[in-house]
Amino acid sequence: MEAIIRVEDLSVGYDSRMVLNDLNFSIPRGCISVILGPSGCGKTTVLKTIIGLIPAISGEIYLFDRKADYISEQYLSHLFLRIGILYQRGALLNSLTLYNNVALPLKIHYPRIPPEVEMEMVHSRLSQVGLLGNEGKYPSELSEGMKKRAALARAMILGPEIIFCDEPSAGLDPITATELDDLLIELKNLFGMTIVVVTHELRSIRKIADQAIVFHNNGLYFEGELKALLALDDDFIDRFFLKGKANA
Amino acid sequence: MESNRENKYQLPELITHENVSLLLGEIKNILSRDNPVLDFTRVSRMDTFGVALISHLKNKYRDLVMVNMKSEIKAILESVSYRGPFPEQEEKKKFEVHILEYIQNKYLMVKNHIRAYMVLLVDEIYHTFGYLLKKRGVLPGEIGNQLFLMGYDSFPIVCLISFLIGVTISITSLDQLQQLGADIYLVDLVGFAMIRELVPLMTGIILAGKIGASIAAEISSMKVLEEVDALTTMAINPQKYLMVPRLLAITIVVPLLVGMADLVGIIGGMLVGHFFSDIPGNIFFENFFETVGLMDFVVGLSKTMVFGWVVVFTAGYKGFSVGKGAEGVGMATTQSVVVSISLIILLDCIFALILY
Repeated sequence: MEAIIRVEDLSVGYDSRMVLNDLNFSIPRGCISVILGPSGCGKTTVLKTIIGLIPAISGEIYLFDRKADYISEQYLSHLFLRIGILYQRGALLNSLTLYNNVALPLKIHYPRIPPEVEMEMVHSRLSQVGLLGNEGKYPSELSEGMKKRAALARAMILGPEIIFCDEPSAGLDPITATELDDLLIELKNLFGMTIVVVTHELRSIRKIADQAIVFHNNGLYFEGELKALLALDDDFIDRFFLKGKANA
Repeated sequence: MESNRENKYQLPELITHENVSLLLGEIKNILSRDNPVLDFTRVSRMDTFGVALISHLKNKYRDLVMVNMKSEIKAILESVSYRGPFPEQEEKKKFEVHILEYIQNKYLMVKNHIRAYMVLLVDEIYHTFGYLLKKRGVLPGEIGNQLFLMGYDSFPIVCLISFLIGVTISITSLDQLQQLGADIYLVDLVGFAMIRELVPLMTGIILAGKIGASIAAEISSMKVLEEVDALTTMAINPQKYLMVPRLLAITIVVPLLVGMADLVGIIGGMLVGHFFSDIPGNIFFENFFETVGLMDFVVGLSKTMVFGWVVVFTAGYKGFSVGKGAEGVGMATTQSVVVSISLIILLDCIFALILY
């Protein structure tokens, strides 16, 4: 399968503190890839490095078949218009209503589009995530699950090719988490979006993942299909999925 | 508790918080002797303090031999005792390099802060002119919101403070002027002091405490909650999106605030002149317009404008450079106010040197 993201000899961390070393993996187009590993292993650091929020210590990242140049503002501007990000806590702007939060990228990047078109786009995204009717509410009036769905609507508004999700199920009850998982599967199936999810929620991994990337011991531990991962006879993987296997 | 031999110390049955101090003192007495030995034969129970005492002795005095220790006590000591370096040693090591490191770190920190502040300053000037030319990168209506927040909310407090300062400075000056029979010079004094010095300074300080703190708190909490990252990854420049409306709003609000504060402060002075020195209001204003010119108003306004920009830049800088967590938000807010007020007073001093 064609790779939409490719990482070569990547080392990530903060300042001089290395978190993960010599990573080599790729993320296929049109799939849901799950990045997993124990807490603090560097999953979110890798995600933020790929999207250019944290500089890589060494190595190369290729996005859309092109070497990423995070120093160039022009490159970043183009990149950010092709990707959407769902942050762990939603990261909605508290000073804006739900409508304005979702419409923000449109208002900034396409200020001349007619208001009717803007409204149609926002309402369509809100309807997709099941939040229609809450447009006038502020983030402080929304539940955690609603905030995550609203953040997903905002991430989708410009029709990105890749959506990155940082622990989407964190802090959600199982029913809301499952609804969010269903939404991600729908986005993949309907729009062919590539979705990269950082998580360690076993239920979520089992439900949505096509592809899995596992980090452990400061490096890449596994890369491949979820089925292959679950079939693996390995002590760490067994311990990681033990509860999940029991549940299954 | 007794010493069987000169170098051997027999520990009691219980080692608890009640006797650890006494035991430590007594054990230290045998430590200077050859081959010191601690005998655990009688020991049947230790609390956390007792475990800490034995663990400390074991780690610090390697020559000390511990004998007849029951297996369960040995197991507890094995599992809970602290094996790392002693805090005193770490402290000592820190102290040895403390002064040089401190000076170097402070120098580098100040240098980095000044450089980053200047970068932000230049970026913001660029973004502001960019916005004025292209009208992009800022949410429509945001400047209006900021105008309301900065202007409407600040008017009452700025006016009240100016009025009170006008009254206070008039009362304190009048007493001296009356002794010289120069009551009428109250107008000159209040006029000059308020328009050129006190209104700009007090408005700047109020802006730092009210608007600066609010901007720093808002931006720093946005950073902590990843809202700034979210803006970045929506290809929205957070420095432009957040700072330009505030800079433009302060530019519009300051002249209005200064005009109102000047008027209210002068009215305060006039009321004091009227009630405490029989200077009629019309005479007060006639003299005022004779002595205080347009240039004085322009100087006062220009100073306040600079102070307003300093407040917004400093608050933005502190907000964007926040550390992690709620503690960082609090620190950024406090530092924003402290640094803004310090810079305002420093700039006021420079203005005084240049303009007088």
